[in-house]
Amino acid sequence: MSDAVLDLPSTREEAWRWADLGGLAAAAALAPIAAPEADFLDLPGAKLLFLDGKLDEARSDLHRVTLIELGGDEHALGRRATGTGWSLRLDAQAVTHPVQIVHVATGRENHLPSEIVLADDAAAEIVETFVGAGWQNRFTRTQLGKGARLMRSVRLLQPAGFVSLREAAQVGEAASLITVFLGAGGQGSRIDAQLTMAGEGAFVEYGGALLTSAEQKQECAVRVNHAQPNGASRQVWRAVAADRSAVSLAAAVEVARHAQKTDGEQSLRGLLLDRTATVNLKPELEIFADDVKCAHGATVGELDQRALFYMQSRGIPRTRAQAILTRAFVADALERIGDETVRKGFEADADAWLDAAL
Amino acid sequence: MLKIEDLHAEIDGKPILKGLTLSVNAGEVHAIMGPNGAGKSTLGYVLGGRPGYEVTEGSVTFDGQDLLELEPHERAAAGVFLGFQYPVEIPGVSNVQFLRESLNAQRAGRGEKPLSGAEFLKLARSQADALGLDQEMLKRPVNVGFSGGEKKRNEMVQMGIIDPKFAILDETDSGLDIDALRIVGDGINRIMRQPTKAVLLITHYQRLLDYVKPDFVHVLADGRITRSGGAELAHQLEREGYAEIAA
Ligand SMILES: Nc1ncnc2c1ncn2[C@@H]1O[C@H](COP(=O)(O)OP(=O)(O)OP(=O)(O)O)[C@@H](O)[C@H]1O
Ligand SMILES: [Mg+2]
Repeated sequence: MSDAVLDLPSTREEAWRWADLGGLAAAAALAPIAAPEADFLDLPGAKLLFLDGKLDEARSDLHRVTLIELGGDEHALGRRATGTGWSLRLDAQAVTHPVQIVHVATGRENHLPSEIVLADDAAAEIVETFVGAGWQNRFTRTQLGKGARLMRSVRLLQPAGFVSLREAAQVGEAASLITVFLGAGGQGSRIDAQLTMAGEGAFVEYGGALLTSAEQKQECAVRVNHAQPNGASRQVWRAVAADRSAVSLAAAVEVARHAQKTDGEQSLRGLLLDRTATVNLKPELEIFADDVKCAHGATVGELDQRALFYMQSRGIPRTRAQAILTRAFVADALERIGDETVRKGFEADADAWLDAAL
Repeated sequence: MLKIEDLHAEIDGKPILKGLTLSVNAGEVHAIMGPNGAGKSTLGYVLGGRPGYEVTEGSVTFDGQDLLELEPHERAAAGVFLGFQYPVEIPGVSNVQFLRESLNAQRAGRGEKPLSGAEFLKLARSQADALGLDQEMLKRPVNVGFSGGEKKRNEMVQMGIIDPKFAILDETDSGLDIDALRIVGDGINRIMRQPTKAVLLITHYQRLLDYVKPDFVHVLADGRITRSGGAELAHQLEREGYAEIAA
């Protein structure tokens, strides 16, 4: 199967340099499997279960979420996700219980658009989980009004296949967008995001932990555009790669000419559990304003052998010591999840991945 | 308890220990002194099982079993504790988590039940108090940002919690101020001065030995024990230096 069949850009294009287009094509061709168990966390609020991109009404409870016709964007992944999708629209000052969405795939490919539109000072929390096999492609458009707050946590737990997420967000004045991803399944992934700090004093945190093993490839390609002054953005990504797997993190910050007093931070760190694994890091800064504070760090390393022996000498078996150090390594990326139930759930997924990988 | 015979060990193909023989019985404290680079820390690492420290000849038995056969964590579960000359910093892992994992892993290795969070905290607090380590330091990442002396106290808090049978303490006195030296000395006596336990105390100075009175003093030079004696040997070394005595 070639890229042409899927009509995606070529890896010769810089933004797609590390994309696993072969893995994506292979995922789309995966033979159907039985639907796996759907996994909702124990939280109040809306629960939506999409089976191969279609709402399973019997197992869903929409609360304030609606299903409407939505378009994608012009992006190669985003433009495929059109048709009936989910929409969360909140009026000014409205607050909801968490919205949980589980995407179950049984093979082949499915595409689903969505939108999150929060009016001034509204607040929402969204938790998404991907399970099953096949290629699941999502387009999510987020628009935050003045002072609105969105906490979104997304975990990729498919044993096989591919998850691609195209995200476009407009963050209004003094609004806050926090998004945390955890890639702890066996699937390939691409998180492809364009975030615009459209209002003054906007705040964005966007990052997560991508854990890979075997021949798996996961990547993020994120651009944060500071279009207005006084904004702050933090991109904290942690990559853990075992066996012959690869994680690629590309994170860019653009600061427009009049976006003074911008505070942009990128922290990209990779941990190689085996010498045969790969972590690619690409932090990028394009700054046109003169009064900005932008810090970026990008490092790739291995587990500290001295720390491992220190822990062993205190009675901790080597694999457990490796797990503790690896968990400590990804902790920065997961600790931003505000809701304790959600954070514990994600941490348990990371632990399960470590138990299997080490 | 510990029987080291004709031990040869090398690092990266370089011989460091060159035929070291030493026996330690229960109830005894042995001090090991010797010039820089003699192989004192190497001996500790070899007994602890550090990767890269290769034993080429000789044997070590601990309570009758071949110590060199065991993985490092199994040696810990068997009752061996290594107090590090340079304790390692572990960012992102709290002291409490580290200590609890350590203790419970050892207990599991011995077929004992794990301590609950509350039971463990009580034990950790009492040990920290006894060694004058601020409670707050239990919550901080292991050794990160600790001063030299705080790291050494932390080693002793770990020893107090783990309650080992045999401790190798590698320059636990270096970096301690005068008061801390006494507190740590008292701690070693309290935790380890028991008829069923034994200590190998690596040090450069007499002052720790004023608090922890050794039954035997050995000089380790160029990878082997060149001289052994009683407590008075340490005084003699301090007066006269290694050149005279160890040669
Ligand atoms: N990784 C290594 N590679 C090569 N040589 C090493 C290595 N580690 C230690 N050595 C050497 O082994 C010898 C013994 O070192 P060791 O640390 O055991 O000495 P020591 O007696 O503890 O000294 P000190 O009193 O300074 O602590 C030294 O010559 C040292 O340079
Ligand atoms: Mg030494």
